[in-house]
Amino acid sequence: MSAADRARDALSRLVDASATERVLISTAALVLSVLIGAVLVLVAGRMTTCTAGEAVYYFGTGFCYDPVVVFDRLFLGALGDPLSGSWSPNGQFAVTLRETTLLIFTGLSVALAFRAGIFNIGTQGQMVVGALATALGVLWASSLVSGAVGTVVLIPFGLLVGAVFGGLYGAVPGLLKAYADANEVITTIMLNFIATGVALYLVSGAFKDPNSAANQTVPLPEFAQFPALLFGARQDFSIVALGFGLLAVAALYYVLEHTAFGYDVRTSGVQPEAAEYGGVDAKRTVVASLSLSGALGGIAGAMYVMMVLGTFQTGIPAYGFDGITVSILAGNNPLGVGVAALLFGVLKSGTTVVQFATDVPPQLVGVLRGLIILFVAMPEFFRLLARGLPGTGSKPEAVATDGGTAGDRGGETDE
Amino acid sequence: MSDAPADGADADADIAAGNDESGSFFDRYTTRALVAGATVAAVVALLLAGLLFPDSLAGTLADALTSENTLAAALRLSVPIAFAALGGIFAEKSGVINIGLEGLLIISAFSAIYVADLTGGVWVGFAGGVVASTLLAALFAVVTIGFRADQIIAGLAVWLIALGLAPFASQVIYGSPNTPTVATSPSITVPVLADLPFFGALFSASPSVYLLFAAVAGSWYVFERTAFGRWIRASGENPKALDTAGVSVTRVRYAAVLISGVLAGMGGAALSLDLGQFTGNGPTMVNGKGFIAIVAYLFGNYNPVGAFLSTMLFAGLDAVQTVLQLQGIGIPRQLIRITPFVIVIVVLALVGRTRLPEAAGEHYETEE
Repeated sequence: MSAADRARDALSRLVDASATERVLISTAALVLSVLIGAVLVLVAGRMTTCTAGEAVYYFGTGFCYDPVVVFDRLFLGALGDPLSGSWSPNGQFAVTLRETTLLIFTGLSVALAFRAGIFNIGTQGQMVVGALATALGVLWASSLVSGAVGTVVLIPFGLLVGAVFGGLYGAVPGLLKAYADANEVITTIMLNFIATGVALYLVSGAFKDPNSAANQTVPLPEFAQFPALLFGARQDFSIVALGFGLLAVAALYYVLEHTAFGYDVRTSGVQPEAAEYGGVDAKRTVVASLSLSGALGGIAGAMYVMMVLGTFQTGIPAYGFDGITVSILAGNNPLGVGVAALLFGVLKSGTTVVQFATDVPPQLVGVLRGLIILFVAMPEFFRLLARGLPGTGSKPEAVATDGGTAGDRGGETDE
Repeated sequence: MSDAPADGADADADIAAGNDESGSFFDRYTTRALVAGATVAAVVALLLAGLLFPDSLAGTLADALTSENTLAAALRLSVPIAFAALGGIFAEKSGVINIGLEGLLIISAFSAIYVADLTGGVWVGFAGGVVASTLLAALFAVVTIGFRADQIIAGLAVWLIALGLAPFASQVIYGSPNTPTVATSPSITVPVLADLPFFGALFSASPSVYLLFAAVAGSWYVFERTAFGRWIRASGENPKALDTAGVSVTRVRYAAVLISGVLAGMGGAALSLDLGQFTGNGPTMVNGKGFIAIVAYLFGNYNPVGAFLSTMLFAGLDAVQTVLQLQGIGIPRQLIRITPFVIVIVVLALVGRTRLPEAAGEHYETEE
């Protein structure tokens, strides 16, 4: 049995043992964060002022904000109110799927790097670079083709441009880490600031749309954007883009689990020493996985330009940072990223519903994001919690043990 | 790590000796000296050029560099970064990488203004900021030390929580992510010394600048001359030895992380109270200072004085950039603004990974 085989064995046991437990921990983290969020809403409701008529009463005390309404709007509102009977594909649900699509790409970007043992906080910057490159590249190319042919040609072209430039920008921290030993956490954070600054400079100067007051590029023609099929065009969502997203989930899962490159990536992440001993070129793996991670971030940027805005504008929302949460919540598993992206799509889309329906500041969702990461990071806390509860004492252990042997998760156990 | 920790007061020699086996330490040390040397040489060359050709760009730059306002601005800008860097040194030397410094700065910047607004006292507000930051650091300590969470992820969570919580609270209380302005404390001027050319800025500054000087000196003293400082170093380098010596690693780490909360809190409170306002749009007024602090102490090789000097280097560049911006030199504003971030990357690329404390990032399990 070679070192590589042994590493592979250890790796698969580790993944198996923790998969079910991970799902439980992620769910528990989510529930706990929502509960703390509810307390926060109540406390905030005590600190602001409102008329007696607007207040809600819990435990005999008046609060200005009602957490039940907040979370009802946040979750049900984001799904387009499926319980009210007036659900339509043109409603808020389309917005939720739009956010999900973008988060799938940023989530996969972070997850891939994470699996290689690299903390890519730079997805946001890679997304900005990809978005700007796509906006400019497609704008240039759109003068060469037009109509339906234009759509078929320009969308893959735009995604490619986004991927290439995002990938190149991702390669920078990769090279710095591999050859200068520079900590990727710091370099990627700095590169985020740099990407935003340079984009602002370019878009407020050389590439500025002369007909707009905003710092943006000249808008793309309609045929150079994702077509709205099935869903209303007003929500800027295209089922085609979501299709690409699901394809990317499946593709990354396949690459990570069933290819030699994926094997190199995973062993480097779990056991870097064993990986090198087993013949993995560590430096090349670092650069390759960060480039690929950057390319996924760049595609997110391309999607944002060609599906949502139709132009590049400064102040791209923090999809890259949300991608970190999505990935951590998903245990860095591509399939999990799909689910976690939907969940965060709900949270992001629900934020605007909450903003319309209540006076609660939308930054609440930012706090929830931080809390979820915090709780997912401390599995030990939930193990203790479960041990402390009477009757359920042995449950987590049983699940963990089950996870190591039972084949109930199909694809997870094939290694 | 070959040699025993916790034995000497002379940290530099100790660490150098402990690391000689890798061989590359000396190279890195040379690179660091090279960067520092190159900086000094460039400054001297610039000053000479400015003296010879006062009307050229070099002349303007030299003017900007030697202006008392530049030093004053650099000192003001370094306060939050240097405080956070000192805090980061305490945490990381004890073995806990605190990447949440940015979050601690944000939460203390807001809380300081809130408490000052509530009570009307600047120093009460300052204390309020420190308390808020220490509480958040305590949460971080419980999560990482008590519940063995991954330090990087938990630190990131601390940043994101503060990044959401401070504007959230500001919105709830003031109806906007930016707070109203509160009174600021007047600067303290030392008579006679304040009239010195250039260095006069050192003696006519906001109280937080003097507090920073005290904190740098105090931190240096703790690490070099006290038993507690040696425990912190041992807790990060060789926790097992510390445990064997009968000192609780867990307690030392809790203490170190709490101290990092206090110091970062002082930095955040000073940042907002100096301006009299907290602005919470986008990345908030802290805007990456916590991350620059991490680079500053890495570059300063975990030495409080070194961290302060490298902070002054970053802040000095920032200050010169502001002066140039005001004089309308032909570099676009947006590009000048990103120079500190570019410099951080260049410095990291040249210096590479500074040697982390041996046990940093790892949980320590007491053997009972």
